[in-house]
Amino acid sequence: MNRPSSLRSLAGTVIGCAALQASAQDAQQWLDRMAGAVEELSYRGTFVHLLGDEVETLQIIHRNDGGRISERIVSMDGVGREIIRNEDEIYCILPDRQIVLFDNRREVSPLVSALPSYSEDLWRSYEISLLHTERVVERDAQVVAIHPRDEFRYGYLLWLDSETAMPLKSQLRDEQGWTVEQMAFTQIEIGQDISPAALEPTIDSEGFRVIMPPENAVAEDAPQWRATRLPDGFQLSVATLTRMAGSEHPVEHLVYSDGLATVSVFVESPDSEPEVTGGLSRIGSANAFSFEFSGRQITAVGEVPAVTVESIATSFTSP
Amino acid sequence: MSEQFQDQISAFTDDELSAQECAFLVRLLERDPKSRDRVMRYSVIGAALRGELPNPDPDVLLRGVQAELDGTGAVGRAPDVLPGPKRFFRPAIGLGIAASVAVAALALLNVANGPTGISDQAPQIAGAATGVGLQDRPSYVVPLEAAGTLAMGDALSSPPIRLTNYLITHGQYAPGIRRTSIHTNVISNEGPRVRASPPPVQER
Repeated sequence: MNRPSSLRSLAGTVIGCAALQASAQDAQQWLDRMAGAVEELSYRGTFVHLLGDEVETLQIIHRNDGGRISERIVSMDGVGREIIRNEDEIYCILPDRQIVLFDNRREVSPLVSALPSYSEDLWRSYEISLLHTERVVERDAQVVAIHPRDEFRYGYLLWLDSETAMPLKSQLRDEQGWTVEQMAFTQIEIGQDISPAALEPTIDSEGFRVIMPPENAVAEDAPQWRATRLPDGFQLSVATLTRMAGSEHPVEHLVYSDGLATVSVFVESPDSEPEVTGGLSRIGSANAFSFEFSGRQITAVGEVPAVTVESIATSFTSP
Repeated sequence: MSEQFQDQISAFTDDELSAQECAFLVRLLERDPKSRDRVMRYSVIGAALRGELPNPDPDVLLRGVQAELDGTGAVGRAPDVLPGPKRFFRPAIGLGIAASVAVAALALLNVANGPTGISDQAPQIAGAATGVGLQDRPSYVVPLEAAGTLAMGDALSSPPIRLTNYLITHGQYAPGIRRTSIHTNVISNEGPRVRASPPPVQER
């Protein structure tokens, strides 16, 4: 190889690396914008949720009123379950069971938490790249691919609105690239004024059984249990001792995150009756693994592969 | 595996066993992972033969069934981006669903099989106590019927309600786009259904 061709090759490599880095930085910026858009924009729309061979239509109304966030998601199929989130609480209305489930909106101390963020740590666990642009619900969208580097997390394919970075369509994919779950707007209005009435439940829940957390929902003691073995990239981001709806006894709640995927582990009090069936189960696109250990029910839940919840749960040590 | 046992499995997958016979078979299968896998494969193949897999691509289906027959569970790798609506109903997911249905059928008759508690000597590692590891994953089943009965009778003791609680709380700590997905799962048409486990993740 003569000198000019070597130089050309070197230049090509440098340009190629620079292009890749630029693409990665661009993708990072898109994810940062998306994180802001999902929470900070006001929007309402209809979307379809596909899980395996099941298709469901839902409506979402998200309102940002000067920093006060409210959201309502209602299923437009079947009995029309609803979940409503506002500044103080989150509640789920299950008309088929005549139940309203309440939970307090969590105020997580920055001293004990580091909520997932689209930080540079993501690159340890995922390959992130910008793909092409497409039209989705009559809007231009940038496609962003997030591919997992191992089998302990899912990947994502995101169609982000070119103007606002709002995700118009998303796919959750396993390591082999198969789609686990898909969500896609069929109609969306972004930046419209949304009246508070739109956030009110439409279901008359009079006579329903209301399951609420006890007062003083956050206990003062610190959680004692910890995972001893985590998949690469996951770290403890939240550790609280809390009281959940329907339980008088405090529950240790630990959140492990790789910056995108999160796994919650709940360690019940030894005084609580085990209520979750042992073993591996699947709830929508989330996997759960539960078992009894030292008289406590330990359950790991997350939108991650089954092997991840099982691996984290079974590595827990008693204090 | 005895011929009689094989006949029982075959009869089970054809829904020809009585409840009592099913219960006995389930107890046997709980102790025999190989036979359990065989039941799953039979069910997948049966579903494929009956045309119950959703919208399969013939080539992928053929590879999937062949993989199930070989016991490898391997299906061809999907491309990174697939165009068009075909990706909505992927054949592999269909296989997974069929396998899940098979396990769910067992689950109807199964009893809770969570590991039992052990002594309080500290420190202990839960995985060591349960014998659960990444290399040797047992096949867990969830008693769907039992869960449904509990849900109707006593919501507080119902596994789905407790799991719903967990999901709602968990969702508050997830990034925005994932929280929407988690909440969607909570209110999905038939609720946060507990399903039998999908086929184990293939080791690399």
